[in-house]
Amino acid sequence: MSGKASSDQSQVALNGSGALSHVYIQHPPLRCNVPGIQGLYYDDGNKLLLAPSSDQVLSWKVGTSTQLDPPSSDFVGEGPVLSIRYSLDGKLIGIQRSNHEIQFKNRETGGTFSQRCKPDSESILGFIWTDCPSCDVILIKTSGIDLLSYEPDLNTFRLAETKRLSVSWYVYTHESRMVLLASGMQCTIFSGFQFSSAGIVRLPKFEMAMVKAEANHKPVLTAEDIHIVTIYGRIYCLQCDRVGMRLNVYRFYRDAVVQQGTIPIYSTRVAVSVIDNVLLVHQVDAKVVILYDIFLDCLSPISAPLPLLLRGTSVNNRQALQVEDNLTSAYNAMIYGDNWIFLVPDLICDSDNGLLWRIFLDLEAIAASSSDVPSVLEFLQRRRSDPSKIKMLCLTIIRAIMLERRPISIITKAIDVLVISYAHLVKMDNVIHGADRNSKRNQNSGSQSTTTSIVASAEFSGETMNRGKSITGVENESQRSTIRNLEDANVNYAEKSNSKASFNSLSDLDGDRNHDVMRSNSGELVGNSSSTDLLSSDAMKDINRSTSLQDSSYLKQPSVQSEGLACSSSRSDACVSNQQETQFTNVAISPDEMYDSIFASVEEELGGDPAYLIAVIIEFLRCSTKEKLRVHPNIYKLIIQILVRTSSYSELALFVTNKILEPSKEVALQLLEQGHQNSQIRKLGMDMLRHLSLHHDFVTVLLQDGYYLEALRYARKQKVITVHPSLFLEAAVAANNSQHLAAVLRFFSDFTPSFKITSDYNRYHMILSEMS
Amino acid sequence: MPMGLASRMAANDGIQFCVFDSRRGQQEGQEIDKILFFFPPDSPFSAQLSVVGLSGGIITFTRLFSPDAACEVIEEERHSHVFYQAEPDIWMILIVEKNRDTESVWRCDALRDILKEVHSLFTMFNGPLQTLLDKQPSGELARSCLYTFITDYLTDFHVGKKIQMPSFRDCLKERRTVQMLTVSREMAIEVQSLANVIRSSSGSIACKSLILFQDLLVATMLSPGDTANMFAYAVLRLTPHALSSNTRSWSYLRRGVSASNVTESATLLNAGSRTEEYPHGSRDTSPGRHSQRNYIPRPLQRDKWSKGKDGFLVSDVRDEVHITPIVWLQETEEHMYLCVYQHRNLTIILLIPVSSLIDGEQGIALVKKQLLENASEKIAYVEEKISKGWGGENAYHVSGYRYLLVDSDRSISRASPPGKVTTLAKDSFLALNKLREEVDLEKARASREKPDHEHNFEMCIRAKNNAWIIAKIAQGRELYMVLEKANETLLYASEAVEKFSNRYCDGAFSLD
Repeated sequence: MSGKASSDQSQVALNGSGALSHVYIQHPPLRCNVPGIQGLYYDDGNKLLLAPSSDQVLSWKVGTSTQLDPPSSDFVGEGPVLSIRYSLDGKLIGIQRSNHEIQFKNRETGGTFSQRCKPDSESILGFIWTDCPSCDVILIKTSGIDLLSYEPDLNTFRLAETKRLSVSWYVYTHESRMVLLASGMQCTIFSGFQFSSAGIVRLPKFEMAMVKAEANHKPVLTAEDIHIVTIYGRIYCLQCDRVGMRLNVYRFYRDAVVQQGTIPIYSTRVAVSVIDNVLLVHQVDAKVVILYDIFLDCLSPISAPLPLLLRGTSVNNRQALQVEDNLTSAYNAMIYGDNWIFLVPDLICDSDNGLLWRIFLDLEAIAASSSDVPSVLEFLQRRRSDPSKIKMLCLTIIRAIMLERRPISIITKAIDVLVISYAHLVKMDNVIHGADRNSKRNQNSGSQSTTTSIVASAEFSGETMNRGKSITGVENESQRSTIRNLEDANVNYAEKSNSKASFNSLSDLDGDRNHDVMRSNSGELVGNSSSTDLLSSDAMKDINRSTSLQDSSYLKQPSVQSEGLACSSSRSDACVSNQQETQFTNVAISPDEMYDSIFASVEEELGGDPAYLIAVIIEFLRCSTKEKLRVHPNIYKLIIQILVRTSSYSELALFVTNKILEPSKEVALQLLEQGHQNSQIRKLGMDMLRHLSLHHDFVTVLLQDGYYLEALRYARKQKVITVHPSLFLEAAVAANNSQHLAAVLRFFSDFTPSFKITSDYNRYHMILSEMS
Repeated sequence: MPMGLASRMAANDGIQFCVFDSRRGQQEGQEIDKILFFFPPDSPFSAQLSVVGLSGGIITFTRLFSPDAACEVIEEERHSHVFYQAEPDIWMILIVEKNRDTESVWRCDALRDILKEVHSLFTMFNGPLQTLLDKQPSGELARSCLYTFITDYLTDFHVGKKIQMPSFRDCLKERRTVQMLTVSREMAIEVQSLANVIRSSSGSIACKSLILFQDLLVATMLSPGDTANMFAYAVLRLTPHALSSNTRSWSYLRRGVSASNVTESATLLNAGSRTEEYPHGSRDTSPGRHSQRNYIPRPLQRDKWSKGKDGFLVSDVRDEVHITPIVWLQETEEHMYLCVYQHRNLTIILLIPVSSLIDGEQGIALVKKQLLENASEKIAYVEEKISKGWGGENAYHVSGYRYLLVDSDRSISRASPPGKVTTLAKDSFLALNKLREEVDLEKARASREKPDHEHNFEMCIRAKNNAWIIAKIAQGRELYMVLEKANETLLYASEAVEKFSNRYCDGAFSLD
């Protein structure tokens, strides 16, 4: 991409979209306002928006596209609908008809059956579909939870397990696979279960804190106050304390729930969204949203409270502003209206009007709102939503601060961020490729079902060591991909998209790593790689005992996968659209891109201050070296050009002798080329050629400079026979030295077989006799 | 050569040092005006005049045959006269006495290097002599500057009460070259990064810096020539080693070798004697009186520098105000303030263009403050890292070899550590000294014949004590080597050179 074009773009990009906001919803919304529907339901397991009407249910796949596909419909018969969820494989529909009955319908056979509870002693609070190996549906009742397993032959459910406990209400997100069951007088005592494909994890019981309003009045927690969010693959719970006007943040570990701190709120009604791992706290009453990036467990906001913007789709900026004005006037009343339902993780459903909005981050605006460039870059490098755009933005920012001649210390930090980010990617890439190979092998041997999935949260550094111990493994990805394979009937493609679009690894490789981790952490080797899951849980206990509550043992999910999971039903689509991007672009910026998009392009604009550019490149080299990244010789060539242009020969000599410019043929040739002005630099180039044992080139350069005797001696010593004798002879003729010519001629006659019968011999022999 | 001169000299320190301007004093009776500096200062004018007269005559005479390069040296039975044409009309002459003992054997080029060094250091602090003379045609400013400067410079050659010029025992050293510290790539980048931080904290693009570790150069932004001068000065007066040896020799100097009270004696001598014998109007401004009115910096004065509390070295405090010395760079012909910061073994020389600071000392104070704020952490880091990786004073010793490696293009040299060199036998030194003289002649001849061509040649001799003495010149690099415990054959010696070249010189000397 050309420097010019992008710099123009940057003007627009850094200014944001005119209106002051960091988060926006895009017009037009997804419309699902079909007449006759009785409310809208969101099935987050399948990413389906469901609208039951009198006797059928319409379902829209909520993908990443801006428009909804036409709905598919299922006949479900008449009756009240309290909630509705499709099974994860899409074969069954579950409809809660009353507090005592859930009706299930097989979509293929059309057969229905019901699951009831004891009407007098308990009532059904809800149900969820799960990909947990031991059951398919979890029924949540006031008396506990039932784990039901589907028997396709009998078209009914078998009770696999019951867990007895009293439940007031529950919250669940499919993203986290986590169900939290509230009990107690104030509903502040929680039991938690995670039903993942790796198995069931039961969290220790814990209590949430509530600020007392008055002495005798104890507030009661409701389901609306609890938000389960998945950020960077970690599972958090946000508890809204309306009296204390704050959100309590809890993080779930395998065996503990740890309060991380609190976030103040400025509205009695708050909603929570997560977009690209950024936490959005909507202050509904105040109609503003505050953003948090809790990557480093830092609970301070990354932005000022700003309104949610409604944005038009027009490409043209001016037009867009107009459209926005119109839209704002049309929809203004609607924003943060009472009828807005916030869906996990990033959707808003306007149930009255049948509209579905997706929330977007305006990364440009966020980037422009902070002057702390290194933090902005860190923030951007953690985003995954639109890699090529984020990359552009990062490059633009770096270029901008360089052109502004910000202090080197700032530039250094900014470059460090980018280089470190790329270095992580490279490290992770190696891991993924390793895993890729393994998963292929697994698939070949048909062993998917036996491998337990250890999910690689490949993206985020600090966590990688622990991935083997992660218990989440939310989905057995290879099983899933097999299903998709069947659907797509395209094994190769799916294989690719699986390995690339979601950084999943399963396999011995992880098992092996587990061993390593084990050895290093607890000094003993437990289990073997075939039973990774067991191993990990054992390991967990060991480590927990020794290191108490380190990060080594939290529940987590793969960040990228969470995206994949979130839209699992439309997954293949997402893969199609994302595949190319994830395969070829990533937010991380490689050294080559740094060179192309920054150093090479900024050079001209920085013209007056080459020392500044050199300083920046040195910082870049420093960081790249530290991260053991290879740098393209073009960067070295650029340094040479700049230093020669500014006649900083001694610095250049220092750079070469200290190998700051790594020796390579390209660098050597560049030194020779630039050395026309300065023989010292030329010599450095020759030394480099010789040092790299590029004997042929070395001899050629000696000849060019007229050192034909030296060249001959060197050629003889290093046995260079690729340089044609005529070059030596011609140089001797040019020096007009008959003795030397005779010597060279004699040399080739003696040492090169059959030289005497060549035309060269005759020719130069003639010349020699003429000379003498 | 009148015998009188030699007999009078014998009473002195064994050397005479003269700087004269061949254009001045053209009229008869005014020849003394040619003389800008004479050592020993108490020599009678007749003796001074006879040196200048002889030298001037020889120069004029030799120019008849060789207009571009006049006389280089006169060898007498008991003296050597070494000539150096410092500036088109400025000549420097060093006369050393050949004693009866065998120690007074030297290489003329090594002595000429002293003249070159004095001149380039002088130029660095005062600008070219010709400029000084143009500024003040009476020559008093130039004389007083030269007087203090050269006298201060010569204090480094005092051994006891005598001045000891470098002898054949110093033939594994090369004056006017820089000794570099070899660092890893990673460290080199760190150092360069530090240099950039230093430059950026000075706020001026045109700032330059040198970084030294102990007495070795780590990084420079100056041209090779300016680097060599600045390096030489730093090693003489600025590095931690130089600072500590200054304080150690303090008491000794106080006792009388005229170092600290140079100006005073100069005042007496010059003012007294000259006004007596040559009562010209222009002589009113004698160096002494001049120095009272005008401040003459004495950068080479011993105990000049001391380390301040903030880590910066301070030199002159006058009226409780620090005077930052100013240096003149040959390459850019710019005047720069000289600021020196020292952290343990790391010495950072920061040169700030005088033109970039409007408010002089205040501006410097600000730059210093910024440097401390921005770079001190990094300086400490780099110092620690280098110190950890530093192999000590014998780091560049190669066992079995005593060597000197010179890259004349870049004015860089490296040699066996002095402690190891002293183990060589006298015969080895004498032979090497002889060999180097031959090489000097050969180099001079070759460059006269083909000035643009690199000359590669090799000389190898067997000394009386059976040591191999080797000199090898290749592509502008010179390698001198003494192998005392070597085998009989020449083949062995040349293999030893090859091995050394491949291991320590990137094969620079194994071209054939």
